[in-house]
Amino acid sequence: MTLRMQEISRLDRVIHEPARLAIMLILGGVGEADFLYLQREGGFTQGNLSGHLAKLEEAGYVEIEKKFKGKVPLTVCSLTGKGKFAFTDYSNRMLGLLQSSGSSGASRPSTAATEPQPR
Amino acid sequence: MPVASLGRRAAAYWFVDGLPDIVLGMTLLLFSALGLWWCLQMRRPARRTQIDFLFIVAGVLFFYWKGRQAVDFLKSRLTYLRTGYVQPPEDVWASASSAGLISLSLRPGPPPDENVTQFNKRTVYVLQTWCFLFLGQYPWRHWYALLAMPVLAAVLYALNRKSEHPYRWWSTLILALSGPTLVWLGVAPILQPLLMPLLAAVWLIVQGACTLAGYLRANPYPRAPEGVRA
Repeated sequence: MTLRMQEISRLDRVIHEPARLAIMLILGGVGEADFLYLQREGGFTQGNLSGHLAKLEEAGYVEIEKKFKGKVPLTVCSLTGKGKFAFTDYSNRMLGLLQSSGSSGASRPSTAATEPQPR
Repeated sequence: MPVASLGRRAAAYWFVDGLPDIVLGMTLLLFSALGLWWCLQMRRPARRTQIDFLFIVAGVLFFYWKGRQAVDFLKSRLTYLRTGYVQPPEDVWASASSAGLISLSLRPGPPPDENVTQFNKRTVYVLQTWCFLFLGQYPWRHWYALLAMPVLAAVLYALNRKSEHPYRWWSTLILALSGPTLVWLGVAPILQPLLMPLLAAVWLIVQGACTLAGYLRANPYPRAPEGVRA
C-alpha cells in the first residue's frame, strides 16, 4: 500500500459519508441547529437524518438535546469538542490529499462532494 | 448545497422572516412618536429637533438592549416551528474562533463581515448617524428634507447591497422620495425633521411586513413541528 493510499484509508469514515459530512459542515458553520433546519438545509428525510445523526452521536461527534426557545421545544444539534477536532482533522487530511494529488482542481475542494445523496 | 454558502445561508436565515426590520421599525416608531409628541409640547422650537434626536438615540439604545430578545421571542413563535432554528452566526464566529476552527480548510462559517451583527452596523448605526447629521440641525432649511431621505436610502441600499440582508432598489427609492414628498405636500419646516424618523420607521415596518407575509405564505404552519428521531 502506498503512502497515499494509507492516508486515504485513515480518513474518518463516520464523517466521510456525504450526508454526514453535510451535517458536520452545517453544524460546523452555525454552531447549533435544530432538526428541522438540518432537514431542510440538507434536503434529508426525517428517517434519513435521524439515522445519520444517531451515528454521529454514537461516535461522540454530535450532541443532541431538547431545548426550549420560549415555550417551543426544539431538538437542537451541535458539534461536540471531539466532533470539532475530528472534523478539523478530516478536513486537513482531505485537503492534504487533494493538494498532493497535483490536479488542477485540487486547490479548491469540490462542492459537489458534499451533496447529500437522496435515499 | 455549496459549501461556501452554508454560513451565508445561516446569516441570511436570520432575516428570512423580516422580523429584525419590524422590531427595529416598531422601536423607532415608538420612540420617534414619543419624541414628536414631546416636541410639540415644547415652547422653544430651537430645541425641538435636538430633543427628538435624543428620543431616537434612546430608541436605538433600547433596540441594542432588548431588540435581540424581542426578535428571538417572535421567531420562537413564528419561524422556528415553520423552518427550524439555527444559532445566529455572530455568536458562532466568536466561539468557533476560540475553538481553533480557524485552521479548517473546509470551514463553512460565515466570513466576519457576513454575520448578523452587521445588521446593527449597516442599518441601525446608519439610521442613528443619519439622525445625528440631519435632524440635529437648527435652523432647519427646506433643502435638508430634499437631501436627507435620499441620502439615507442611498446609504442603506449601498451598504446592504451585497450583504445577507439587501434592500430592494424600488423599496429604497420609495424611502428616498418620501422626503421630497413632505416638501411637496407643504408640511411645515418645523415638522419635517420630526416626521422623517417616523417615515423611516414606517418604511422599515412595511419592508419587514412584506417579507414576513411572503415567508408565512411560503411556509404554512406545520402539523408536525418536530422531527421524529428513529
